[in-house]
Amino acid sequence: MRKTVQRYYPLFPVFAAYFILFLVGKNVSGMWQLVSTLLFYCALGQAFNIFLGMTGYVDFGYVAFMGVGTYGMAIAITRLAHVEALGVLIVAIGFAMALVMAALLSVAVGAVALRLRGAYFAIATIGVNEGFRFLIEGAKIWNGSDGMIFTAQLNQILGRETASALSTFWADVIVLIIAVLAAFVTLFYMKSKIGYALTALREDEDAAVVMGINVTKYKIIAFITSASFAGLVGATSWALKTPYVFPPEVFEIHYTIEAIIIVLLGGAGTLLGPVAGALIYGISKYYLSIFLPGFQLLIFAPIIIIIIILFPEGVIGMLKKSFRDSTLMRFII
Amino acid sequence: MLLEHLAGNLIQGLVLGAIYGMATMGLSLIFGVLKVVNVGHGAFIMVGAFITLWIFNALGLNPIFSIPIAFAVGLGLGLIFYSLAIRKLLKAPELSTLLATFAIGILLEELVKLIFGSEFRGYNWVVGKINLGVTVLPVAKLYACIGSIIIALLLYLWFNRTRAGSAVRSVVEDDEGARVCGVNVGGVYALSFAIGIGLTVASGVLVTMFIPVGINPYMGGGYTLKAFVIAVLGGLSSPYGAFFGGLIFGIVENGSYTLFALIPGVEPFALTRFLSFVMLLVILLIRPTGILKAK
Repeated sequence: MRKTVQRYYPLFPVFAAYFILFLVGKNVSGMWQLVSTLLFYCALGQAFNIFLGMTGYVDFGYVAFMGVGTYGMAIAITRLAHVEALGVLIVAIGFAMALVMAALLSVAVGAVALRLRGAYFAIATIGVNEGFRFLIEGAKIWNGSDGMIFTAQLNQILGRETASALSTFWADVIVLIIAVLAAFVTLFYMKSKIGYALTALREDEDAAVVMGINVTKYKIIAFITSASFAGLVGATSWALKTPYVFPPEVFEIHYTIEAIIIVLLGGAGTLLGPVAGALIYGISKYYLSIFLPGFQLLIFAPIIIIIIILFPEGVIGMLKKSFRDSTLMRFII
Repeated sequence: MLLEHLAGNLIQGLVLGAIYGMATMGLSLIFGVLKVVNVGHGAFIMVGAFITLWIFNALGLNPIFSIPIAFAVGLGLGLIFYSLAIRKLLKAPELSTLLATFAIGILLEELVKLIFGSEFRGYNWVVGKINLGVTVLPVAKLYACIGSIIIALLLYLWFNRTRAGSAVRSVVEDDEGARVCGVNVGGVYALSFAIGIGLTVASGVLVTMFIPVGINPYMGGGYTLKAFVIAVLGGLSSPYGAFFGGLIFGIVENGSYTLFALIPGVEPFALTRFLSFVMLLVILLIRPTGILKAK
């Protein structure tokens, strides 16, 4: 019994961080907007870490899953808004749609790309978001480049007050729940056969294959899990917070970059890393955009290079190294 | 009428394809020698485009003169980025170089945006047009095409007729073996990276000779994706493979545009971009060694 509880100790610092964030946002006036952004980055980092961190593969098209998730929510709301009886249930249907669509896209992409290794995988994914965007625009699927605006439908079915509470408060709470779930799933994977197989794969894929590990299977599991969370994050942070969707915005590679920075900064493949990365990145970006507007990317690009060269393990990776074997380490993985 | 239209578009595609091919040779050279995928490839093309624009507008010089200048700037950038970042990451996992080149691309884009701003720019180089019957070809495009072919030939000669070129080829074949035979592998890495970047920046000049408008700091993204498709078509590690891959890609892109335009209710331009992504996946899946190599 004690062993099983101990196993989940590393979740304490993660949840503590989320709890403090929530309290600060709720009680300090004017902080909710920053907290909402930070929660978005935490959820994004946790979700992306399940794939990038655990496998060591870079998916440059990650934002496509968030985009598809946004479309899932948008489609559910626009198509079902006339069914008055649904009420808040419509959001749940939207989440189901987002989850299914992101998972389906990840199966399709993964089935092709995950057969490829290392650099070839990265090359295959670099066009996923652009490719999907141009398919939607070119074949005029889901209104093509006109996008979808569904503020009216949301107001109609939920009532104006609930809809506004949803976009200003409850959407952020749902993002927080997604981040918590993603952290839980990460730890569960780490402590199970999946995590051990992925560690073997990340260290030496050839050796893992020789040892009889079905690496493709575990890669696909991590890929689909990570993509599904991305779909949920897109459905919440984009579709519910701002009730419209335009292809160029939701397939913008910029968000993949942010996810990569967050995971690397904190420490790829660690549980607490994405949270640390999200907080450092989110807070510094927030204040940079106040004091030096327009310079964020110019500052972050060299930082990425410096991190990769000097601190490839990230903040939490370095902490782990320097506090090895101390009791503290039971809480940080 | 349709056939004439298609023939005209295919000729345009062939001309564009030569430029695409040249614009990809640097990517293939760097991958072939260093096994590094330059994800920031498009940003270097963008740098070449801005060099052309600046030289044309500020000094009034013919874009052809920009080619050697852009190549020299590219050599310098290549050496700087190699010694500051890439050299330290050659032994690191693939993830590191992918992210580093990606970040280098963003850095270049943001620097150019800081200096020139983010609006779309263009220049107007008037040198006349040639009527080919089925299509009208601006002379600037023809120059760009000829320039690409000359540069590709020069690279071929350098590879096959010089000592440095054969050292590079030996490293492509087997870097351990080359080291044993006394080749300065570190030097070859630096040289190849610099030349690869030089070629890419120079190709930015040719790209603007073909399309002299739409120059802005973020123009490179589309070229990165196209360059990957082309490089993969050509087998990823061979610069000449890349050149022929470019020819094929130019023809497919322009030909498919004509065909997509026949389908009512679609946006043909967006669909050609989608097609290039599909091509990339299909080729990677069935022939990761490229479609030109016979095993």
